Formats: sequence, C-alpha cells, structure tokens
Amino acid sequence: MTLSIEASGDIADAAVGSVPTEPKAKPSAKRTARIASAVTVTGLLLLWIVSAHFKLVSPVFLPSPAAVLWKFYSVATNGFVDATLWQHLLASLLRVFAALLFALLVAVPAGIAIGVSAVGRGIFDPIIEFIRPIPPLAYLPLVIIWFGIGEPSKILVIAIAMLAPIAISTAAGVKGASLDRINAARALGATRLQVIRHVILPSALPNILTGLRIALGAGWSTLVAAELVAATRGLGFMIQSAAQFLVTDVVIMGIFVIAGVAFILEIGIRRLERLLVPWAGKE
Amino acid sequence: MSFPVFGVPTPPTAGKATDAAVQPVDPMAHLVLDHVSVHYEGQTQPAVVQASISVKSGDFVVLVGRSGCGKTTLLNTAAGLVTPTGGAVTVDGRNITSPGADRAVVFQNDALFPWLSVKDNVGFALKLRGVPQQERDAAATRLLERVKLDGIGGKAIWELSGGMRQRVGLARALAAEPDFLLMDEPLGALDALTRERMQTLLLDIWAANSVGVLMVTHGIDEALLLATRIVVLAPGPGRIVRQMEAGFGRRYVGGEPVRSIKADPAFNRARAELEDSIFEGETA
Repeated sequence: MTLSIEASGDIADAAVGSVPTEPKAKPSAKRTARIASAVTVTGLLLLWIVSAHFKLVSPVFLPSPAAVLWKFYSVATNGFVDATLWQHLLASLLRVFAALLFALLVAVPAGIAIGVSAVGRGIFDPIIEFIRPIPPLAYLPLVIIWFGIGEPSKILVIAIAMLAPIAISTAAGVKGASLDRINAARALGATRLQVIRHVILPSALPNILTGLRIALGAGWSTLVAAELVAATRGLGFMIQSAAQFLVTDVVIMGIFVIAGVAFILEIGIRRLERLLVPWAGKE
Repeated sequence: MSFPVFGVPTPPTAGKATDAAVQPVDPMAHLVLDHVSVHYEGQTQPAVVQASISVKSGDFVVLVGRSGCGKTTLLNTAAGLVTPTGGAVTVDGRNITSPGADRAVVFQNDALFPWLSVKDNVGFALKLRGVPQQERDAAATRLLERVKLDGIGGKAIWELSGGMRQRVGLARALAAEPDFLLMDEPLGALDALTRERMQTLLLDIWAANSVGVLMVTHGIDEALLLATRIVVLAPGPGRIVRQMEAGFGRRYVGGEPVRSIKADPAFNRARAELEDSIFEGETA
C-alpha cells in the first residue's frame, strides 16, 4: 500500500518538476514538436471535413464541422433540453467546484496527516489506496442508494474522484519539506503545530496545487457519470440527452466544450501556480 | 584545565583584567555538553563518544576535524535536534532535550523560507511569538543593517546571492535574541572572497552581542581567525582529541587588521600545530 502511494507521489513530483525546474527542450526540438502537432490537428480536421462533405459516413453518425459549429451557436442562444449551453456549463462548473472545495477540505488535512505522522499514515493510507483505483461509475449506484438522487450525490461522486490525487500530492509535498528548514524553524522556537503551519504547509503548496490540477481533471472527467442520474442541467446531461435522440452534432459539440473548458481550467491553474508559488524551481 | 594560548601577546593576568571589565552585567549563560555520546540507530559505530564542550557567553568555540568526526552531530546535539544516547546537554544547569530559541542555528544551506520576503524571514522568530507585523518589520530593518544588508527587506529570497542569503540567515537567527549561536559551516558554500568578508562580519556580530558561539568549519585558517577556543575532533568513532585556546579573533575585535594578524608568525605556527593535531594518526 505504502509502495503505491510513494510511486504515485513520484508521479506528482515529476509533474511539479516538469513545469519550471527541468531544463527546457532545445528551441529547434520544441519547434519540430509544434509543427508535428499542427500537421496532426490540421490533418484530422481535413479528414473530418472531407468525410462529412462526401458523406463517407452517414451525417447521423458524423455531422460536418459546420453543423457542429452551427449547433454551438444555436444551443448557446436557443438552448437544448430546456437550458442554454451556458446554463448547462454553469451547472457543471458549480458541481465540479463544489466538489473541489469539499475534496480540498478533506484531502489536504488527510495528506498532511499521512506526511507528518505514522498514525495518520496508518489511518488514511489504506482508505486512499482503496478509493484511488475505483472508477466513479462503480460507486455511483452506492452513493445514490445512500444519499439519494439529489445534487449532493452528484457533488459527492465527483469529490470522491478528487480525494486521492489531492491527498497523495499533499503527502508527497509534506514528505519533501526540507529537514533543514524544519530544524531551522524549531531552533527559532516553533512548536510542532507552528512547524506544520509555517514551514510544512507552504513547502507542500506546489505539490498541493499539482494535486489540485490532477483532481480537477479527474473531476471533470467524472462529470458525465455524475450527471447520468436525475440531472436536469449540465454538460454531461446535455450530451446524454442528445445521444438518446441521436442528435450527434450536439454530442460532438458538447465534447468539444468539455475539452475546451478543461483546457481553460488547466491554464488558470498554471497561472495560479505562478502567482502562489513563484519560488518553485528557483531555490 | 589549561590550554596552550595562541595569538595573545599580552600576559594572561593583564588579559583577565580587561576581560573582567568587558563582561556583561547580566549572569552569563553557560552551555555544556557533558560527556555526550551519540549512537545513531542502525550504525555499527557511535558518531560521537564522550565529548565534553563548554560554551559561555562571549566564547567563540570552533569545532574542526576530518570528515565523519561527528562535528555536525555535536552541534545538532547542542541545538537539541539530536538527543544524546549518553551524557547530557545543559544550559545553566537545565537539561536540554529539544530545540529552543535560546540556541539559534545557522545552517550551511541557508534554510531560508522562499515563500517569505527577506524581512519576513528575518522576523520569523518574532512572528512565532506573536509580535505584531510593524514591530517585526522594525526589528528586521535593524537586523539587516547589522549584517550590512540595508534596504533589501522587500526582496524575494531567490533574488539574493549566496553570501547575502547566509547573512539573512544570520539576521534571522539573531532576531530570536539567542544566548547562543550555533553555526554548521555557515560559510562553507561561499566563494573565497565572500568568505573572508563574512568572517570579519561574524567577529563583529559576535563582539557586538554577548552571545556564545559554537561553530563547525572545515577551514583551518577560519578556525584560527575566529575562535577563542578550537576543539579538534577525530573520526572512528568521533571524539575530541584536543582543545586549544586562540586569541586572533580578539585581536581583530581590538582593532588589528586581518592581514596583519595572518602575517604574524604566531598565526603560522598555530596553523601548523592545529594541522598536526587534525591529521594526527591518519593513515595514508
């Protein structure tokens, strides 16, 4: 159990390290990669346009890019299944962020406990390791049996998916806190609690933010599952309703919106990292 | 105990008379390592055996010795970061079992907090005691002046050079108003020029505050220049092989330039003797 936590911690570490500390790739290599990406994306888009234009695949299964774009506009203004795109988006974002708040409140203290005390590790390690590999669809029915079909169940399902990444990253950050800094604080008169509050927590902040980023990804990908049951709004709900009526253009449009929002969130968190932990990688 | 005295040209009686006049009025703090042994778990050999060191206010005690002789272990034991497996550490007769603000520690790797500005690093000990921000800032400004870093309080830690960071670490330690300053190779990571300037800064600060200093170093010249007493350790297991008095630092504080001190043949003789005791019994 400990072994796998540590392994995951390393992954989290690597994720932290890869942003600012690693020596940057040579400009030429970077440009080559960019060109390859651009060619791939353009190629896929062309393939889509061509196959839609010549109806290589039935439009019921593969609507044209123009149709999807048009759907984006029409759902944004007129709505689909009783709500506009923005209302669906807002419902989903509120769920994901409520879940994130809940997960942070639970998983950060749990991660700190795992990192600083053997008892804490003994208590939380098995729980986290048990939850971590279970797919959200597997515990969704149980959450519904226990908590009903209301909003709390949906938030809880997303939050559970977020617990493990945050707790594991936090624990890795806590364990990685410099012993010299901890000792320096102790020698300056810090109590155990003051060491945690003033040294360990700030030391772990870069890792906590990495955990938050991974968690947001996990939560966002759990969204569709969470909105399977008794939802009336939400991007996941919108996609499922559209799929039931074979409105494929809305399905594809919804997928692009989810991907786009995930991308924007990712950029937002990277900004947040630069703002909150400007020292990371500069020591 | 009587130790050979280096570098003090005046007769001992005259020296004592002036010392007595300079002594602070308040009772002197006294840090004692009494037959301290440390045996780390899982190690075949103890790190330190039966080491006794006494540091009073106004003392500048320097630990020297080859790698693995337990210098850092002894310093950490004095700090309360390592618990001795034998013997005791006391301050004014009180048993020491944990770190305390009366014994501030300066590490080789400055161990500053990068998430705090320079002045918040310096004021850290005061923050722990609940001193309000305004007073902390005033104290930080004062302390930064003392380590000759005026006006950098608002900077970030990573903007500073190695020498500046080490001075910030020193100011942070002084903010706790410690009776003792414990330094583990504080100048070890610095280039030679910065190191020389830091040595005189250390002497100035030691002379201006009535602190007792316990310092670990690899530098033989550094030990001679700074110390009032040099403790020589040998490895396998770590133990004290010799303690000797020195007075070159006092001469600097008394106004003699470092260059003139180092040009004194007595300095060279003392260095030769110190080297001999450090490398005594070394095979190969």
